[in-house]
Amino acid sequence: MLGSLFRNPLRRPPRQDAFDATLLGSVAIALPAPSGITIPAPCAAVLVDRGGRSRRLASGSRIAALDGETAWCVHPGPYTCDLVPFAGAPEIGLRVSFAVDASDPRATHQRFDLFLASEAGSAVDLAGFGGLAQTALQRELAQGNLELPPCTTLEEWNTFRSGFNQLMYTRFGVTVDDCVPVDLAATHDYAALLEARLAAQAVLATVGASADPAAALTAMPAEAFVPACEDARALRRLFLELPCLMCAVRMAVLPADQGRFRQHQELLRRLDLVSLSVGTMPALELAAPGQPLAPEEQLRRARHSRRAAAALDEAWALLARMKVAGEGPLDVLFDEADRVVANLELETGARRVTQMQDEVTA
Amino acid sequence: MTAPVFEASCRSILPDGSMLTITATRRPRAGRADVKCSVPGGPAQAERMQQVVRLARHTEPRYDSRDQVVLSADRALDAATRDWELAAVLADRIVRGVFQAARPVLANGWSDAWHLGRIDGRALVNVPDGVLAGGPDALPHLGALTGQPDPVAATASARAWFPLHSGGDHDDLGWVEVSVRPLANALGGDDDDAISVPDLDALRQGQVRAVLAGARHFDGRGQGQWKTTVRFGETGFSGDSYGLALVMADRIARGREFMARGRVIATGTSSAWHAGKVETVDALAPKCALILREAASGDRILLPKAWEHALPQGMREALRARGASLACVERIGII
Repeated sequence: MLGSLFRNPLRRPPRQDAFDATLLGSVAIALPAPSGITIPAPCAAVLVDRGGRSRRLASGSRIAALDGETAWCVHPGPYTCDLVPFAGAPEIGLRVSFAVDASDPRATHQRFDLFLASEAGSAVDLAGFGGLAQTALQRELAQGNLELPPCTTLEEWNTFRSGFNQLMYTRFGVTVDDCVPVDLAATHDYAALLEARLAAQAVLATVGASADPAAALTAMPAEAFVPACEDARALRRLFLELPCLMCAVRMAVLPADQGRFRQHQELLRRLDLVSLSVGTMPALELAAPGQPLAPEEQLRRARHSRRAAAALDEAWALLARMKVAGEGPLDVLFDEADRVVANLELETGARRVTQMQDEVTA
Repeated sequence: MTAPVFEASCRSILPDGSMLTITATRRPRAGRADVKCSVPGGPAQAERMQQVVRLARHTEPRYDSRDQVVLSADRALDAATRDWELAAVLADRIVRGVFQAARPVLANGWSDAWHLGRIDGRALVNVPDGVLAGGPDALPHLGALTGQPDPVAATASARAWFPLHSGGDHDDLGWVEVSVRPLANALGGDDDDAISVPDLDALRQGQVRAVLAGARHFDGRGQGQWKTTVRFGETGFSGDSYGLALVMADRIARGREFMARGRVIATGTSSAWHAGKVETVDALAPKCALILREAASGDRILLPKAWEHALPQGMREALRARGASLACVERIGII
């Protein structure tokens, strides 16, 4: 009886899509791999345990996952993707070719493995990864940390390249081999895009005229925001990445004098406290033990987690700037670090409280 | 970078003609609310002001939680007027250094979508000179302050600035705005009819069309694809040194150029836009002096290549210290 039950394919736990090594290296960068397979030739396996610690296995060996470990099969590439550096200029892009970094013997943890452990839910496909890289690039450009102005000169381009390479390495653990400006008009036709926007506005206008709120809701594609998922994902990222970030910040700056040393130490101390706060974060749905929290407050908490994760992204980008910067702009960078850490403190603090008191004249 | 500001004010004209002043100050946050507003006798209006300012902050790429901004209005506001909203948003931006204004700002405008940065209109009917007026015909969204196209609108419009030199104290930066919208059924071939320049006389309309046609030919795109409107902030000028600014505004509007964080300030002309060449123009010294005076953080300055070795000493360094960048270009396009 029992045997037949197990053999019934419908009763089996829903397996993730079967492991297909042919996808690796073309459309997929990393795929979850079942235990027991032999790692195909150019790939490597990354095994991550529940606490986020990772180890790598070279190709040719068999994946033997310990209890609680998740395994990925990672193809080092090279990959090519097109990024749009400015949302407002879709016809000009960057063609980037990159490769997943081979394990760096100097580092205690590999950045790409950390990326897999904290951000990759299951498979990492090239399109999704390109989207993340594009978001990181666009934010750095919008904040003015990287510059790609009209009529970029060669000198400015080289500065941009070194900043961008470091950003990609520090944030994702991939090395950029080549990056050239390209005309994307064939795939991202701006005129067609604007026409689509016009059409969407016309639809919204007719729906608005009919004054049916339900119809308006269906016409506008709402951004799916499930508080529990968003919160868990953001907190997991903070929990796993903050210690690594602290470690990297400690290494990135060699304080020149006593004042700088104090500043650096203070920064690390505050990051440590944020990390502690994340590690002891109360559950999303509880106001107190056994007392549920109102859904709108849960939503607020999840929003704060997400904003804290956004501040974490900025912190990685800032770390990349620290690595390429010399001694000169350290004052500016420490001020930026102060801002990022203040944002992290604020968001994690707001995530802890059960009720936001907010007055106009506070 | 720029020196920190701790107090700023922005004025607005109320419907009865009186002048409202909104004063913003900045101080360490110390656990307080990020924005605090006070309006004499109007807690509801103060609440609205806080909401407006918070919504408008969503369009900023950089979030700083370290400061508290306190905004106060110097007179009572009645519930029906909303024209002060733009002034409140700008005061909040000036005090945090997000927007740098060269001169005191007088602004009127309201919006239902501050979180998108859109400015829907203004109640002020006759707009006096020097008033920053919101609305589709004037300042349609907050990004337009530095010439960027609105990322959500179906019409892309971009501005670029060029030095207007008349040999006197009235030298100023003028702007040219190019708005494009997709031409539904592309006719192909003759692009000229689809470019309208309402502000200029027939002769100079022809010049503008020739410049755009040439530059788009160089581009290989955009012919017969767009319905284009070109507007100038100031029409009483002569010469053709606005050419480069016009071409840059057109390229940015059509989404084919990298963008600056601030304004694009350009001067230069060409006899062969179809080859993408940029040629020199006159009045190097006064134009450089003007640019040096007006440039703000994030601005991008484009000058002809021939000026490279004749630039005033220390100009590059002065601009870089202010957060602006300068390039002397020989051709338009990617590097």
